[in-house]
Amino acid sequence: MTVESTSPDISTSFAGLKLQTPLVLLSGCIGFGEEYTRIEGFSNKDVGAVILKGTTVEPRMGNAPHRVYETPSGMLNAIGLQNPGTRYVIDEILPKLPHHETQFWANANGSSLEDYAEVAAMYDDSPVTAIEINISCPNVKEGGVHFGNNPEMAAKVVAAMRPMTSKPLITKLSPNNADIAETARMVIEAGTDGLSVINTLVGMAVDIEKRAPIIGNTSGGLSGPAIKPVALWKIHQTRAISAKHNIPILGQGGLTTGNDAIEFAITGADALGLGTGLFYDPLICGKVCDDLRNYLTRHGMSAYHELVGSLQS
Amino acid sequence: MTESNRNIIFEEQAKVLAHIHHKGEQCIMRLHAPKTARDAKPGQFVHIRVSQAKALRRPISIMLTNPEKGTIDLLYKMIGEGTHQLGERKVGEELAMLGPIGKPFDLSDVSKRYVLIGGGVGIPPMVFAADDLIARGGKPVVFAGSEVEFPFALKPSTFMLPGITGNTTLTISSLEERGIPCRLASNAGLYGCYEGHVPNLARDYLLGLDEKERENCVLLSCGPHPMLHAVARLGRELHIPAQLSLEEHMACAIGGCAGCVVKTLENGEEKYRRVCVDGPVFNADILPEFA
Repeated sequence: MTVESTSPDISTSFAGLKLQTPLVLLSGCIGFGEEYTRIEGFSNKDVGAVILKGTTVEPRMGNAPHRVYETPSGMLNAIGLQNPGTRYVIDEILPKLPHHETQFWANANGSSLEDYAEVAAMYDDSPVTAIEINISCPNVKEGGVHFGNNPEMAAKVVAAMRPMTSKPLITKLSPNNADIAETARMVIEAGTDGLSVINTLVGMAVDIEKRAPIIGNTSGGLSGPAIKPVALWKIHQTRAISAKHNIPILGQGGLTTGNDAIEFAITGADALGLGTGLFYDPLICGKVCDDLRNYLTRHGMSAYHELVGSLQS
Repeated sequence: MTESNRNIIFEEQAKVLAHIHHKGEQCIMRLHAPKTARDAKPGQFVHIRVSQAKALRRPISIMLTNPEKGTIDLLYKMIGEGTHQLGERKVGEELAMLGPIGKPFDLSDVSKRYVLIGGGVGIPPMVFAADDLIARGGKPVVFAGSEVEFPFALKPSTFMLPGITGNTTLTISSLEERGIPCRLASNAGLYGCYEGHVPNLARDYLLGLDEKERENCVLLSCGPHPMLHAVARLGRELHIPAQLSLEEHMACAIGGCAGCVVKTLENGEEKYRRVCVDGPVFNADILPEFA
């Protein structure tokens, strides 16, 4: 569609950053930002930010296959943080990315507080505009969700990274945690600037002929429309805390249509994460932007922020 | 052979022009997808949304293209839920499809004798490669294996092949008509086919060549893993390089998720490479699984 000058403003602010649209491509779904631009019609300008594949201090090979498996209304993945190491990404990949088209955010991982702090320090002197803290990856043996499931440990990770960088820190929260609001409260107190809600839910699938797990890692993270109701509820719970502190939420989990995006925004997502939805339709971003503008127009709103958290009780 | 492919990938609404079901749950589908038809190279695949219910797409290798008519042909077997839902698609329906994807076979030296060994739904990329080679003045030879009736018209071959004897007489008619020598293998007692596994049929042929001719050969293969193992062994035994086309569970098929990996050993270093864009074609000698 043609966007007229009266078209609603779907830019959004997030943790002090101005995003050209509320859409954020999620870590682990778009490699290091260089792959989707090969698809005719895909434009980085439809997204507010691209979160690069998670990195660690040292390179990681990742998990043995199978790493992905489709499940009803979703999929399991257990990639295992395959990455060439943070230094390589900063020196070899970041300089080649089109930073004028969109923002690129890092995703930091570690198996100790020192690791997380070191990754934050490395990215501090790089063109990424924010750092997402992955304390909720379910697919690695150390670190990851083991930090995220314990509110005190989650806060310690944020506190360890905070002095290492002046860039916004966005903490990715696990839905596999009994009390997401308490974790949100503690990481906000430790200095996070934003929250990603939610990471994948842990699950598994069985090959009945081999009587063996299908996923090489046995368990994997469940994503896709199957987890959307969980994501909305966790955003709702988190917002009860985060709104008081003026901390934004990057809502994510099964968003695959424009209507999904509107639901997430109403529930309280300041920005909207796309992951599995990209696998279903790699050209989804432009369509969701159009749907958002049309919805805002239909409801007499002039800007995306009017929609955020507009849930009626 | 380890550089990933960087060609443009198109999202097309591919209209089903023909969809023919054959014995053994095998289906041949013709789609109108002009950009993919124009750009596709042998060994590449398309990533197809099989239905509204199954949102994750399915990778299927390209069997043949017609750039003038803007069509591509696929051969697939209904095995899991996804391919069964693809089997239900009717002529006239449109399917969301990404393509062409992946690193193709290296067919750059047409003075080589490319020996193409395909099994089951691994036959399609061999048909595409043979068609491409013959059009460029190459001399491909195809060996195809199946445990169910072949989903092609067959006829007796007029091409004599060294090392091939007895009742191994039938070929795929469309290959014969394009001047491509071919023979078939099966363990299912199919008439006119070699009784046994297709790599053994290819071995008989290769041993029938003189040493100089054999040294000029390159093996290309796609099919079930036991067959690929046999082809890799054959290449090692006869000192012939082999390019294998692999498959793996796939999510994005763009190189974004690293979901579809295979382990490689390159310069002493183990890595996981993405089957979608670093492959699906790999040189056998960097795949420890086939060592």
